[in-house]
Amino acid sequence: MRKIKILLVVIFVFISLTGCEKDDICVDGDTPLMIIRFYDNENPSELKAVPNLRIVGLGQSSTVDTFADRSSSDSVALPLRINEVNTGFIFISDSADEDDLETGNIDTLRFEYGTQEIFISRACGYIANYDNLSEFLNSDSENWIQNIEIVSPLIKQQDSAHVKIFH
Amino acid sequence: MLRYFISCFLLFCFLISSAQTDSLDISARDSTSFGDRYGLRIGVDLSRPIRALLDSDYSGLEFVADYRITKKIYLAAEFGNEEKTSFEALENVDDLNRVEIYNYTTSGSYIKLGIDYNTYENWYGMTNAIVFGARYAGSTFSQTLNNYTIYDSNRYWNPTNFAPGSDAPQEFTGLNATWLEFVLGIKVELFANLYLGASVRLAYLFTNTEADTFPNLWIPGFNKVNDNSKFGVGYNYSLSYFIPLYRKKAKKKKNETPAEE
Repeated sequence: MRKIKILLVVIFVFISLTGCEKDDICVDGDTPLMIIRFYDNENPSELKAVPNLRIVGLGQSSTVDTFADRSSSDSVALPLRINEVNTGFIFISDSADEDDLETGNIDTLRFEYGTQEIFISRACGYIANYDNLSEFLNSDSENWIQNIEIVSPLIKQQDSAHVKIFH
Repeated sequence: MLRYFISCFLLFCFLISSAQTDSLDISARDSTSFGDRYGLRIGVDLSRPIRALLDSDYSGLEFVADYRITKKIYLAAEFGNEEKTSFEALENVDDLNRVEIYNYTTSGSYIKLGIDYNTYENWYGMTNAIVFGARYAGSTFSQTLNNYTIYDSNRYWNPTNFAPGSDAPQEFTGLNATWLEFVLGIKVELFANLYLGASVRLAYLFTNTEADTFPNLWIPGFNKVNDNSKFGVGYNYSLSYFIPLYRKKAKKKKNETPAEE
């Protein structure tokens, strides 16, 4: 009986030791954000920052967390909903509050896309890429967004713009 | 604890001395019956059933066999079947609150064929072994992705966790791999014809047929597949029985008497 115990201890120690592995930290990839750059409608090759830009996801109560709220920016990165085929955003130019009422110009923009699930590495598992990106702007009496161009319908990298918005 | 080591040590002393009793056989016999014993040794790996008892996510069985062809060289083989469910979790999370990013089950069979070279100089009648060996091994298996999530460091749409992937398990079949294995092992005769063996193995992955959307992360017989290296490690503890078939005298070398065998 004692011999069996010894054998068990030896085997248990071996299994415990071989069970150790380095901390797997995911550094190999991530689900990309959608990059939008803002251009001047009169001079389409020139970037033009949107003053006091605020972006809220449709169905969300908080503003998008990837850039400083109500800052002036010519480039934003937006997260898309992985488990849905579309994501809507409220884009507010010149955003400000007056008696708790928004005074900026509100445009609603919806993006549709397909989702690809891609296995990256042992530590990361699956990430999503998006393809067939298309956009739909709800027209109202005074849209500040004049024109939209999909530059890259495939969202795989984050190093260049996928969407150009002219205003 | 020290008592365990001492009793373990004494156990092996006892075993080695008991293996010498053959040489005390003084009964008259034909001189042609002297010589090394040749035959087939078959057995089973002890570590896999024990691991299956301790770990509910694992089951496995391995049979081992070797056949002596010369004084020092044995043909050796292992074959077995293993099934293991593994998961990958985010780091810095304890077992209770761990966040699994995917969970998969690998199941399949393997066979390893090769040779063992015994480097141990036995006294007459003893057949203990310290072996170096090589194997060519192959495995056919399937992997089932039980569940997974989509890694996404942005928490705007999913504040608490990753978006889940498809719930339905996806099975990837027809997977296979081959590898070369270097073996370092010992075998000790516990009682007449009954051997206890242990070995460690370093394997080098040769071919690896993977599914398009999910790589082979664990291979039966090979164990964990690393991202950045083709090497794998393994071990076994075998209990085996020797079936003696015939005796053969070792060839005389120059300046060497038979008594020195």
